[in-house]
Amino acid sequence: MAEALAGAATGTAAPGRLDASRSKAVRRFKWMILSPLLLMLLSLLTPVLLLQLYFSFHQWTVYLSSWWNADFVGLDIFQSVFTDPRFGWAVLRSLAFAGGSTIGCFVLGFSLAYLIYRPFRGQALYYALFIVPMLTVPIVIAYTGQMLLDRSGPLNDILSRLTGHDIQVLWLSNPDIALLTVTLLDIWNWTPFSFIIMLAGLSSLPKEPVEAAQILGASSWRIFWEVQLPLLRPVILLALVLRFLDAMGSFPIIWGLLQGGPGTATETLGIYIYITTWQDFNVSLGAAQSYVTMVMMVGIVLLAIRLLRREKRSLDTMYAKPQEAEETA
Amino acid sequence: MARIELVNLRKTYGSVLAVRDLNCVIEDGEFVVFVGPSGCGKTTTLRLIAGFEEPDRGEIRIDGRVVNDLEPRDRGLGMVFQSHALFPHKTVAQNIEFGLRMKKVPRDERARRVREVAEMVRLTPLLNKLPGACSGGESQRVALARTLVTNPSTFLLDEPLSSLDAKLRRELRAECDRLHQELKKTFIFVTHDQEEAMTLADRIVVMRDGDIEQVGSPMEIYAEPVSDFVADFFGSPSMNLVSGEIVADNGAPRFRSPHFSLALPPEAVGEAPTGSVTLGIRPEHVRVQREVGAAADLTLPVRLVEPLGKDTLLYFDIGAERPFIAVTEGLALAELDAGERVGLTLTRDRLVLFAADGKRVTRHPVGARQ
Amino acid sequence: MTKTRRRRVAAAGRYAFLTLWAVIVVFPLYWIVSTSFKPSDQWFSWPPVYFPSPPTLDNYRDVWIGATSVAEGGQTALSLQTPFLALRNSLILAFGATALAVLYGSVIAYGVSRYRLLSETRMFQLLMLRMVPPIVIVAPLSLYFSYLGLLDSMFGLGVMYFLTSLPYAVWMTKSFIDEVPREVEQAAEILGASRWRTVFEVVLPLIRSGLVATFMFILILNWSEYLLSLILSKTNIVTLPVELSKFEGSTEGRLFGRQAALSVGITFPLIIIGLFIRKHLARGFSFGMVRR
Repeated sequence: MAEALAGAATGTAAPGRLDASRSKAVRRFKWMILSPLLLMLLSLLTPVLLLQLYFSFHQWTVYLSSWWNADFVGLDIFQSVFTDPRFGWAVLRSLAFAGGSTIGCFVLGFSLAYLIYRPFRGQALYYALFIVPMLTVPIVIAYTGQMLLDRSGPLNDILSRLTGHDIQVLWLSNPDIALLTVTLLDIWNWTPFSFIIMLAGLSSLPKEPVEAAQILGASSWRIFWEVQLPLLRPVILLALVLRFLDAMGSFPIIWGLLQGGPGTATETLGIYIYITTWQDFNVSLGAAQSYVTMVMMVGIVLLAIRLLRREKRSLDTMYAKPQEAEETA
Repeated sequence: MARIELVNLRKTYGSVLAVRDLNCVIEDGEFVVFVGPSGCGKTTTLRLIAGFEEPDRGEIRIDGRVVNDLEPRDRGLGMVFQSHALFPHKTVAQNIEFGLRMKKVPRDERARRVREVAEMVRLTPLLNKLPGACSGGESQRVALARTLVTNPSTFLLDEPLSSLDAKLRRELRAECDRLHQELKKTFIFVTHDQEEAMTLADRIVVMRDGDIEQVGSPMEIYAEPVSDFVADFFGSPSMNLVSGEIVADNGAPRFRSPHFSLALPPEAVGEAPTGSVTLGIRPEHVRVQREVGAAADLTLPVRLVEPLGKDTLLYFDIGAERPFIAVTEGLALAELDAGERVGLTLTRDRLVLFAADGKRVTRHPVGARQ
Repeated sequence: MTKTRRRRVAAAGRYAFLTLWAVIVVFPLYWIVSTSFKPSDQWFSWPPVYFPSPPTLDNYRDVWIGATSVAEGGQTALSLQTPFLALRNSLILAFGATALAVLYGSVIAYGVSRYRLLSETRMFQLLMLRMVPPIVIVAPLSLYFSYLGLLDSMFGLGVMYFLTSLPYAVWMTKSFIDEVPREVEQAAEILGASRWRTVFEVVLPLIRSGLVATFMFILILNWSEYLLSLILSKTNIVTLPVELSKFEGSTEGRLFGRQAALSVGITFPLIIIGLFIRKHLARGFSFGMVRR
């Protein structure tokens, strides 16, 4: 106290008094904000994860009454997960689905964004239309797909009329193309997401470097490749990562349309786990599968985080304001 | 050779007429400055020349050839932008060599020319830096270098100094001047700063609301402004403008305003002997006397004294919106107190009259210090 | 080719591509709407009927008003009368959870933006939390909830919606808060405002449009949410998407017309809302990867 007063008297800042009370208030503020979240995560996430872990190590199916009396079976369940070819296929299908959807959404979304981002007549209308699929509830898309893609449904009908041949593609019942079908539906659903992200990126590109490149003799292709694309890398990565991760966990569209069928043709990870847990009632197997999936996803997610952060860093350096950049003249 | 002709150019944006039937010739090797207030069409004109905008009507000719249909890259021009427009993800060296790469210049020659140009604008230590790490002045020099290295016939510069602070602005201004003298190429420079126009230009094109108000050398613009707009725009501090009317007083023309009245020499009046006019006199042509004598045109209390070192500015309130300003050399009058009355005399042969439409009516030149 | 010719060809190509995709976008939606007006004999006829003749409101009446004249047993009859209940549940859950998530999320975002409440790493981890497929925890979750008595309850499902909405809420509002200059808050502080007051009376009102955009986006997600609501609800808190899936198991064949009428009710409000906020969507979706 005395030092503070002495400091005030002499006009020099006695370090501590104001800083200390401020930082204490800040800490309390931060704590007040965060504690509800931590509480919820702790009371919800932790028990659930532990329970899931428990089931992975104890064999239990719903028919047995008390789950806490289930037998401990060590790593047996996990072993069965890894030796289950159906699980392996599910993983592959998920990757194929997510990959296909991501690439499709990206290619389409980017093309549309590129064609639209500069003003032209009708721009607003097209923009409004292109957003709509994302606003459509996935389960509705699934059921509508059933109507549209039926063998004698409108899609085949239109294709037949357009090409003059009698086209009767078995979109829904041919196991070889069922996964493709559902991927196409997912692309229809989520292209707007990539579209909007890429549009935001393209619109934020500075215009003058493009003009500078034009007058320096660059062709449109050159400009796209060398001036615009490098600056779009962070946004592109974002669009790809978000879509891929989301598609890996996709459920309503596939389940609503085909329930993993025909046979197991569209049985992705999520579907398989659902079937194992809620149709076969093999909760323990489902739990182990879930954990393996979680670990896999966390791995992918960590990789994604690393990539995104790297892009964010490079953006920060490119657009940094030089604080005390000295004139070298 | 790069002679640029603008013939009947017209450009509209929606309902706004940005450039209105513009006609102008820019000779090879000239330093031409397009100057005017915001929205006057100077930047639009530059962009029309560059090819980033298409005129609604009219032609742009380079060396006699109509280039309206040519893309910017085929017109043989170079451009420096207000925001310098560097490629943020490429190094300074990569930025500079960009134009050469587009022309498929082989790598060794590219490197050599980049080094030469970097020397010319003193950028050599920065060659491997990213634009984000460069200061404003450095960035603008990189933009200059990037254009220089491609050796265009004409340089277009769109307010390149506007984003810099005053000191940097003066330095880069000198740089532009030097480059023009060394390279002897055509420079077309756009700015809203009359000082830049005055110091850099061989010829100034004053624009207003899409039209050319006046074209001339800096001296002509300053000494013989064609309208009150031009007279007011050039000169710092601006010309004093007082509105009033001309009345005949026993046959001799007299200027009368609410604040003072003045007998006019007949040659000042020119073709408009009566009617409402604006009287103009530049601050440096107003003589200040501390001793209040009968000889002064008007006697007023000083409102504000601004000692600048080289000059002293004195502000007077004549009841108009803008203060009446007199400039005196040195700091002799710097100790005047606000409220002290002094006598002001307007140099007769530097008076100028503007008619109601803004056009100058006096015939003799009105600018330049004695 | 001259500049103008090239320009015109490019423009034609552009319009062709855009119109093609526009048709692809619109057609399925048109199909749902037109099917919802079809009388039952045109639901799956061959060749497909593109324009119902005559259009009828029967499907809407049956689904939303529940006056069904079809005699069916047990399960199906029940499901045809609960769409309104499902609508109510969806409204409460989606709007409620979203509103709370946006509110809390923006406060967290404020803490992150101004006080580094969460490090950059944690922020990314938060986002990625959302990315792990919910299927992996729904089994133990339902068990846990049944013990807590939260199964088939608004509160239980609401909490889950709230938690899964938070990461997006935090990320999206943060990008809006970042754009508010700090001087505004400092001015408030000098004038005597506490931190909480600054947040609620100064900062949040300034990003009103961003909050609306965030709200709408998360609303779309929660409104469409299927899996959690499927698992965690039984009879009391069925939401619209789950309600729709009941048509799947309907015992009287595919009731396409009624399904379409329900689908229209589920989907079109969302489309209308989304169109209202379309100007703001781009701003909220940058997640730090876009610089202006």
